[in-house]
Amino acid sequence: MAEKDRDEKVSAGYRALGSEEPPRALDEAILARARERPTRWRVPLTRWRVPLSIAAVLVLAVGVTLRMLPQRPEAESVALAPQVIQTPRPAAPVPAAETAKPAAPAASRELARAAAPAAPAAPTAAAAPTAAAADAAVAGAVAEPRMRAEGAAKLSVAPLTPEAWLARIAELRKQGRTREADESLAEFRKRYPDYKIPESPR
Amino acid sequence: MLAYRHGDAGAFETLYVRHKGPLYRFVLRSVKVRALAEELYQEIWMRVIEARGRYSVQAKFTTWLYTIAHHRITDHWRKRGLQLVEADDADPPAPRAYEPEPRAEGRQGLQRLAAALAALPELQREAFLLHEESGMTLAEIAAATGATEAAAKSRLRYALAKLREAMGDG
Repeated sequence: MAEKDRDEKVSAGYRALGSEEPPRALDEAILARARERPTRWRVPLTRWRVPLSIAAVLVLAVGVTLRMLPQRPEAESVALAPQVIQTPRPAAPVPAAETAKPAAPAASRELARAAAPAAPAAPTAAAAPTAAAADAAVAGAVAEPRMRAEGAAKLSVAPLTPEAWLARIAELRKQGRTREADESLAEFRKRYPDYKIPESPR
Repeated sequence: MLAYRHGDAGAFETLYVRHKGPLYRFVLRSVKVRALAEELYQEIWMRVIEARGRYSVQAKFTTWLYTIAHHRITDHWRKRGLQLVEADDADPPAPRAYEPEPRAEGRQGLQRLAAALAALPELQREAFLLHEESGMTLAEIAAATGATEAAAKSRLRYALAKLREAMGDG
């Protein structure tokens, strides 16, 4: 501090104004708080370490699941779309076996072929779309590459837009396939509950 | 403070005893209301206690303590809708020439000093109080208040000039 920034007379005058101190009770409260802090901090950190780790893992798991969610509607829409209803249900009884070996596409293909005859009347247009949806959901990642390998032309995997789907329903009605149209419409409503459906497909 | 950080509560007590008076007066003369000063004073120490885990030796403890105090008091002014601004653009008043009338002495002079101190703009009063109570250098005052050293120097000079004048010594 330079000398010109000091003024002894002002300093002396200031000191003469008094030297107030904090009240004793305030001192004691602060010191008591300072003393209790070290032990208080350690306990919760130790106690919460495991629950916090579990919570972090759960948050991570939910995050990953949420990131995967957009893929499921695609699979469902493929399964529920009218084109898909007409395709064989490839692997209804073997999803567990397939999901257990996702890295073995050849083995999956064999299992799928073996299982295909067991599927009840799968190729008919009247096959329940919900069953197809369940298959698609369970077979998941295994089914899709297999289907692609066995002929993408047979199964259109491109998801329908709502408009295209409704057009398809209307077409079914024109062809007199009312039951299929109704089922497909019901699935459509499940899939797009907020979509305003025009009169004609109903 | 490092000792306290490592669990030595007695080290905090030593620090507290050393700084409690100057800090209390700094806060009291900044906000001027005893009840409010006690509340802010306690909050400042609570922040010190809570921040002990993050304390590292980057500056003197005094500078760190008064930085916390500065922030807490600034928050208080802001909550009350007051903005701290530099109050003087011109040079500080030059010492006056000799005046024939007798200077007030004693109690009257102190009363005028107290009134002048209370009337100082916040930033100037803060610089003066930091200088008087904590013995901080201009660089430390600048660090604690987030100002440049030149600004701290200017504030202190204005404050001293006004207080000197109030004591009839201008």
